[in-house]
Amino acid sequence: MPLPRSSQHTLTGAYALDALDTDAEVARFERHMARCQSCTSEVRGFQETATRLGTAVSRQPPTALRAAVMDEVPRTRQLPALDDGARHRGPGPRLAWLPRLATAGAAIGLAAAIALGVVLVNTQNQLGQTQQRLSQARHQLTMTKTELAAINAVRTASDATLVTKATAIGGTVTVVASASKRQIVVTTRALPALRSGKVYQLWLIGSNGNRIRSEGLLVLHNGQTGPILISGVLSGDIFGITLEPAGGTVQPTAKPFVAIPA
Amino acid sequence: MRASEPELPRPEDGDRYLDGLLARVARGDQAAFEAVYDDLAGPVYGLILRVVRDPAQSEEVSQEVLLEIWRSASRFDPAKGTAATWAMTIAHRRAVDRVRSAAAAAAREQRTAEVPVPHDAVADVVEASLDAERVRRCLDGLTESQRESITLAYYGGYSYRQVGERLGIALSTIKTRIRDGLIRMRDCLGVS
Repeated sequence: MPLPRSSQHTLTGAYALDALDTDAEVARFERHMARCQSCTSEVRGFQETATRLGTAVSRQPPTALRAAVMDEVPRTRQLPALDDGARHRGPGPRLAWLPRLATAGAAIGLAAAIALGVVLVNTQNQLGQTQQRLSQARHQLTMTKTELAAINAVRTASDATLVTKATAIGGTVTVVASASKRQIVVTTRALPALRSGKVYQLWLIGSNGNRIRSEGLLVLHNGQTGPILISGVLSGDIFGITLEPAGGTVQPTAKPFVAIPA
Repeated sequence: MRASEPELPRPEDGDRYLDGLLARVARGDQAAFEAVYDDLAGPVYGLILRVVRDPAQSEEVSQEVLLEIWRSASRFDPAKGTAATWAMTIAHRRAVDRVRSAAAAAAREQRTAEVPVPHDAVADVVEASLDAERVRRCLDGLTESQRESITLAYYGGYSYRQVGERLGIALSTIKTRIRDGLIRMRDCLGVS
């Protein structure tokens, strides 16, 4: 049950201390913050305050840490600047089975972003979203206006990046990511029809590959899907889709046929 | 590949010293990153150690965070706050993610009853001891429940719901307590 607006405002402190209870609560508060200027500035002041608390417990790190970090630096791909979206993204992550990013797919301009916006508006009435959390019973949610607003908030975030990529099995997948919101919006187009007994399953894969989280199954309506909002994205996460047996799996059993840095 | 630009910003350049360095890091300047490391590794490691507690895990999380700073330097926006806050926010989130993972949380529940307050930590401070002293003084200026709420949430990595449970305070109250405490801290520390 979403809290009323005034109640959301009192969450500024807990949010700034990373003390909200669930990813959903973070997503809800960030949606509120997107249209609450006083919340945004209060959160910034609190984050600055928290930083003082953090630096007050500064400690000399183990000497091995420096060497370990500096060893990794030349091998660690840097994110491109946000105003430089057309630039080729560098080598892929260190997961052996993750394909390197196609360069062509990364080069998406403003026109495509606007087109996506039009698609979002046009499909407003037919949006449906199914999320299956494997820890929960399967249930279907009709996308609410709030969720649509969240999707639009990601899409129009000042730090939004847009990547469209052709998949290894055909069709394309588009990811609009907002690092500040820790959310991505995924849309797919022209994915092949599923053979019976197979599903498309969505995943978030942590930067070092040791944290893989199911983001549910992709529901196709005539080969199309509505935009899917994924929250609680951490920097470095990779978004991927695999073909899995009906019902989905706890961990991916196949290599993703598409992988995009979230 | 070393720095291609001759002069790095210097600490004497003031608050925005790190901002300038990060702009260089965003362009792949490894020498600038080494200077960023020298400035931030202590605070990053200290904070993570405080939240995660286990030194080996803390070192691992610190490495992830410092590489994340290298990786996403281009995403730092000086209009939204200082570089230190950007980096420490990443560090704190990663530390909290680590302790909230089920196994870690279970292990930690068994060995934590104490409320972490930064008094004892002040002795460990390698830098910014004046700042640490000021933080301690400002924490002392809070009510006891404000101070406990903030230290449990920030240094303990607990959610406000968990903080409420530990302190026996209603959820609606705990949110307000954290916010009120932070307002006092912010004003006491002179954060604009």
